[in-house]
Amino acid sequence: MAAPRPAERPRPTLLLLVAVALTLLTLHIRGSQPLDAFQQGVRDILEPLRTVTDTATDPLQTAWSGVFGYERLRAENERLAVELARLRGRSMSDDADRELLERLLGEIGLDYMRLETVVVRILGTPPGNFGTHRIEVDAGSDDGLRPGLAVITGAGLVGRLQDVDRSRSTVILATHPEFLVGVRLVASQDEGLARGTGRGTLRIEAGIRLDADISWNEVVVTSGGRSLLPPDIPVGRVIDPDEDAEYERSVVIDLAADLESLSFLNVVLAPPESDPLGVESAPIGDPPS
Amino acid sequence: MNPRLRVLLVLVTAVALEGSLLDELRIGGVAVELLLLVAVLTGYHGGPERGAITAFFAGLLHDSIVGAPLGLHALVYPPLAVAVSSLELRMLRSTPVTDGIAVVAAVAAGQGLASVVGMMFGILGPTTDEFVRQAILAGILTGVVAAPVNRVVRWAATGGLPGTIELRRGAG
Repeated sequence: MAAPRPAERPRPTLLLLVAVALTLLTLHIRGSQPLDAFQQGVRDILEPLRTVTDTATDPLQTAWSGVFGYERLRAENERLAVELARLRGRSMSDDADRELLERLLGEIGLDYMRLETVVVRILGTPPGNFGTHRIEVDAGSDDGLRPGLAVITGAGLVGRLQDVDRSRSTVILATHPEFLVGVRLVASQDEGLARGTGRGTLRIEAGIRLDADISWNEVVVTSGGRSLLPPDIPVGRVIDPDEDAEYERSVVIDLAADLESLSFLNVVLAPPESDPLGVESAPIGDPPS
Repeated sequence: MNPRLRVLLVLVTAVALEGSLLDELRIGGVAVELLLLVAVLTGYHGGPERGAITAFFAGLLHDSIVGAPLGLHALVYPPLAVAVSSLELRMLRSTPVTDGIAVVAAVAAGQGLASVVGMMFGILGPTTDEFVRQAILAGILTGVVAAPVNRVVRWAATGGLPGTIELRRGAG
């Protein structure tokens, strides 16, 4: 509707803005702390506004969910009923699996369920359409959370905290292509670096010996060490040991935690820089004596 | 009211709505891209320079609330606003239907470009099919709410000046 005024200089302005955006993007990807703080500040400023708008529009949101979410909820209900029946039938097998997992974890000297955790509720996906494989939870720095902390369920690893605001945090799921975690294969004791595939699984990209004896269904746990996550948290089971690899093994892991039906999560209160050797001798989060 | 204050008010309202109500009103997991729509419409109504600057700040706000690296959407939105402004000047005749299609196409392009930039910087995985579906759906959903947003953005971007025809003549 508006023609450019004679004084307008769109090309230099555009070039300048693109240059600034590229600089910001490069600095942020390289881990510039002030930019993280700026984003966190913006989110903290907007948080009350979001909460008020959320509350004011709650009836509309409920009506929307009723109209557009009814079929999905019914399908989910049916799926859960089938799942429940299947799980009842498999309870014996699951007990055996649990026994095996506990025995294996016992052999390496840590019960991961003894980790000190904070329970958080899932709010949904982050705003916008950029948040694939990420979820938002209802706790933040006011609850003692920090970026990098491991997020788990009773079944095992779910992901880690990425952005932590005062009262909300974003969890990057283990299936995200950006998610990296050091893992150990419990039976073969081989260690490697696993990355999310973006398709519901993880793939060990590096570190596994070509001649390693890896079996199907082998339990995989976090390795700790230089990794940001505490050691010995169950990650999943091997579903493709890549036995025919000629140059490098690419082992595929099926996550133990079901990421499709999450409601509450546990955030492990372990400092990322904690000494993993200290972790093995005492439960994580125990106050120093 | 000062035109800059109007734009600021529109941006703040848009970011609050995008972070709350519109985040819940999803279809197929895709939400309305309100800040992208504001960027596109500011380019359309406010001209290339004002459009680019507003789009830049809309991009920064979007980066902050969606948790994307700062600068990613701010890199995509300004060229899009300038392109929309440039195309608008070259259009011989516009009708509500062509304007609506243009908005849907511009939002889909913006969403798709942001995904491409995300992939180029290694932030998003190579799931192209999903990004295409997301861009098209975001374009359509955003097009649905474009009419009321258009009025607000026109009010903010033109600073209360008269309508289209008078502005074109004035510029010549």
